[in-house]
Amino acid sequence: MRRIYSIGGGKGGSGKSFIAASLGILLAKQGKRVVLVDLDLGASNLHTLLGQKMPEKGLDEYIDKTVSRLEEVAVLTTIPNLYLLSSTRCSLEIANLFYAQKLKIINAIKNLPFDYILLDLGPGTNFNTLDFFLIAPEGLFVTTPEPTAIENTFIFMKSVYLRKLKLSLKEANMWHICQEEIAKLSRGALKSPLDLISILTARDPEKGRIFEDLLSNLEFRLILNKFRGQVKENLGEQLVEVCNRHVYPSFDFLGNISYDNRVYESIIARDIFIKKYPYTKTVSDLQSMIRNLTGEEQEVVQVRVQR
Amino acid sequence: MIKKFKDLNYYELLRIPYNASSFEIRQAYKHILAIYEENSLATYSLFVEDERKVILSKIEDAFLTLIDDKKRESYDNNLVSMGEVSDKMFTDKEQKKAIPIFQTNESRTSNNSLTRIKKKIQEKEAADFAATMLKRDQITGKDLKNLRESLGIELEEIFQATKISPTTLAAIEKDDMVNLPPKIYLISFLKSYAEALQIDPKQVVDGYIKNIP
Ligand SMILES: Nc1ncnc2c1ncn2[C@@H]1O[C@H](COP(=O)(O)OP(=O)(O)OP(=O)(O)O)[C@@H](O)[C@H]1O
Ligand SMILES: [Mg+2]
Repeated sequence: MRRIYSIGGGKGGSGKSFIAASLGILLAKQGKRVVLVDLDLGASNLHTLLGQKMPEKGLDEYIDKTVSRLEEVAVLTTIPNLYLLSSTRCSLEIANLFYAQKLKIINAIKNLPFDYILLDLGPGTNFNTLDFFLIAPEGLFVTTPEPTAIENTFIFMKSVYLRKLKLSLKEANMWHICQEEIAKLSRGALKSPLDLISILTARDPEKGRIFEDLLSNLEFRLILNKFRGQVKENLGEQLVEVCNRHVYPSFDFLGNISYDNRVYESIIARDIFIKKYPYTKTVSDLQSMIRNLTGEEQEVVQVRVQR
Repeated sequence: MIKKFKDLNYYELLRIPYNASSFEIRQAYKHILAIYEENSLATYSLFVEDERKVILSKIEDAFLTLIDDKKRESYDNNLVSMGEVSDKMFTDKEQKKAIPIFQTNESRTSNNSLTRIKKKIQEKEAADFAATMLKRDQITGKDLKNLRESLGIELEEIFQATKISPTTLAAIEKDDMVNLPPKIYLISFLKSYAEALQIDPKQVVDGYIKNIP
């Protein structure tokens, strides 16, 4: 069965790409066919985390119709079973895609013939980022224990829900109803997707219910990256509880990923951290994260240094 | 319909069952306070000062109401009469009423059982039993129950030692997923349970969590 995960989180530098790459490597090591899709258009760098030079083809060749099927531009990495669909060659203008183009890309991504499709997103909350994040019904939010990162993650989460709701309402030709009501509220009063749902429900309980169900189909998980000893052990669980109460009740905690200086050093040296340092706390954290995610009982994956 | 935070009743706010024991209420209060208190990283950026004040005072009200038997009863009655909660939810309350029976000799009894457990667990048979169980990767409620029974300990004694409600204890021993408390409490309850039986809490928690989906 094909599984798609988006990996986002709002704050730049929280480790989204590192988590995406690591997740991809570990799943590929289990024999799954995995494709990493770099959707940080205009600033993509996933290849660097994989110790790879800039790929020669990518999303750009699909957009300009050099190839007709998206999978043709997914290149095999140095890790067996792991493919990279890069967007390095997408020029900055492409970061502002036309809506029709965007839909075409989204559909093609959904249909990529792989066991796992992992979407690495850029920072911020622009519409492209939100729409790409929403390709997957299952999303992973990466944050770090800093107040600024947590703040941006909350903002990103709410934006994701509101975007989903807005697009669905537009599709159902109901957006104008909400728009009037939102305009009536004071600025910034729309605090959570539940506010919008209750506006809808007040108008029409039946419809409110439908859209509530729609949002409930999304399944989100939180990852606390760059975790250090001095941070409260249960911060991640606390955050998830807060998300479930103040954003939307669809969050689970996937685990803490320990901070390790060598992550940075590996990138500089074009090494792959989890291959070079397989017995670190960070790697065992990543492995237990995967177990939590896939829910399968997997034997501990041995990642050997390949020369 | 999913309730908004401001519409949660005190039980939902503290995330405790309607028949929660005073121990559970205290635990839940400590837990939620840590999330919403002034400098909590988890909610640092989420609320302006006034919003936080409102939340904290509601938490305070919830705690002070539920911890006080009289206030709690009238709050409960109010919930039922407003149709918020069906009185069915409170049927388990018989259990709560039964608590005073155990409480009369509370400290003496729990000390007694504690010393008794201590003696028992040192006997070879019981020690072996516990060791075999702890070696297992997964620990089920049935394992815990077997150990408890082999030590000759009643469920009520665990309740006295831990103040975890007998309903919750029973759910733990039956691996009754539906009635288990939220994971965050479950972990703390399992710890207390293990401590009461004087076996390694960490192993019990890890083993039990692995056993539930
Ligand atoms: N667990 C970790 N321990 C130590 N350093 C880490 C860890 N995770 C990520 N980093 C470092 O943080 C930096 C940012 O990581 P990464 O590029 O994955 O973040 P990002 O969220 O994808 O950033 P962007 O928003 O720019 O796409 C990198 O230099 C990386 O080495
Ligand atoms: Mg990145």
